[in-house]
Amino acid sequence: MKSIIIPGDEVKEGVSSVNVYVEDGKSLASAVGFYDEQGKRIVPLEGTWTPKIDDTVVGTIEEVGRNNTYTVDLCSFRTGVLLLGKYSRSVLKVGEVIEAIVDRINGKKEVILSNPKELRGGMVLKIKPTKIPRVLGKANTMAKQISEIARCDMIIGSNGLIWLRGGDIALATEVILRIEREAHMPGLTEKIKEVLISKSKNNERKIE
Amino acid sequence: MASKANKPELLVNGKRLDGRAFDELRPLRISAGVVKNANGSAYLEWGNNKVLVAVYGPKEVVPRRDADPAKAVLRCRYQMAPFSSLEGHGRTGPNRRATEISKVIREAFENVVLLEEFPNNEIDVYIEILQSDGGTRAAGLTAASVALANAGIPMKDLVYAVSAGRIDEHVVLDLNMIEDNYSDADMPTAIAHRNGDILLLQMDGGLTKEQFHTALGMIQEAGKKISAIQRQALIDVYSAPGEEVKR
Repeated sequence: MKSIIIPGDEVKEGVSSVNVYVEDGKSLASAVGFYDEQGKRIVPLEGTWTPKIDDTVVGTIEEVGRNNTYTVDLCSFRTGVLLLGKYSRSVLKVGEVIEAIVDRINGKKEVILSNPKELRGGMVLKIKPTKIPRVLGKANTMAKQISEIARCDMIIGSNGLIWLRGGDIALATEVILRIEREAHMPGLTEKIKEVLISKSKNNERKIE
Repeated sequence: MASKANKPELLVNGKRLDGRAFDELRPLRISAGVVKNANGSAYLEWGNNKVLVAVYGPKEVVPRRDADPAKAVLRCRYQMAPFSSLEGHGRTGPNRRATEISKVIREAFENVVLLEEFPNNEIDVYIEILQSDGGTRAAGLTAASVALANAGIPMKDLVYAVSAGRIDEHVVLDLNMIEDNYSDADMPTAIAHRNGDILLLQMDGGLTKEQFHTALGMIQEAGKKISAIQRQALIDVYSAPGEEVKR
């Protein structure tokens, strides 16, 4: 188990400046989290999503503006904006769920999105955005494992929304919520694999 | 009402009414992450005080004209439940006292929360006093600090608060309701635990210079215990049953 850092705790030299502030020449943590030895950074356990360019997000169309512009609800303190322009063919409606990529962040601190893909059917699950890296796993191992064994389509938005469709949605949901609860525990990928395999067999038997 | 005329004996055989020593805190217990809908929350029991704090945000400011393009707006609401007190205080709706306490708590937190990280947004802190027994603003502030950290709001430091006062010539720590009403002085103080910055200092009654320094010393000494409990509350959120968290 990693030791947990509390706001005001001193952190080692050379740590990335995210979740860290400097006072009197000392680096101090500003969030609850733990220290990541390899990445030399503080991994927060709570908090909001800070948009970064090239992040994949899942959102709902909130408002349709002129010339094919849209406001996208990202379940965050930042709103998403989608500027498709007059000549774009795709037309989106209010309430539709999309997957998009963060293009840039403008001066008004709005998140400009690009490459929208409409997501039809399925369901959207909301978890804490700080737990998303754990749902993805190292090199997406965890995400691959879930979608393979539960046989469902899954798109993970770094803003904390996960879109799921088909297959054993109940199992995928259960597993994702468990990852959210136990994100700080070591050896989670193995534990989740066991759960997935045992439960998916169980469910298949029920169907037969 | 409290007055000199009907003042009860506050010290019996050199001890306080609840048997505590002069520099002894009431039993304190904090748990974090108790309100699922909130971004962060804390529940605190301090003697007979019971406080629930929920933090929401950062989110868009409503109404929009209150938004600050340079930093986030922090809003605190301290309120006593109608059933929290034996008389008076707990009447519903905002009143002078609640408005004042909300303001001083907000100003204490504006010093430690990194508001510049969320321009045009607001952070709401709701402090509900469920049961009151003196020193509720200190209890509310101590719990709110844990709730803010639990919400992942970037902050420089945890804040603790406790009151000290005077009964006759004795300086005492952490006054309860009856001591608060009849004592000769009451001084709630909030301190940032790492660098010792004083973020709130109020006083009813009077203290001499020496008594003030004794009181402050007592508060700082008690702060070590309170901070340790706050830290433990934040860590305990992540300890699964049966698994020990490294400290």
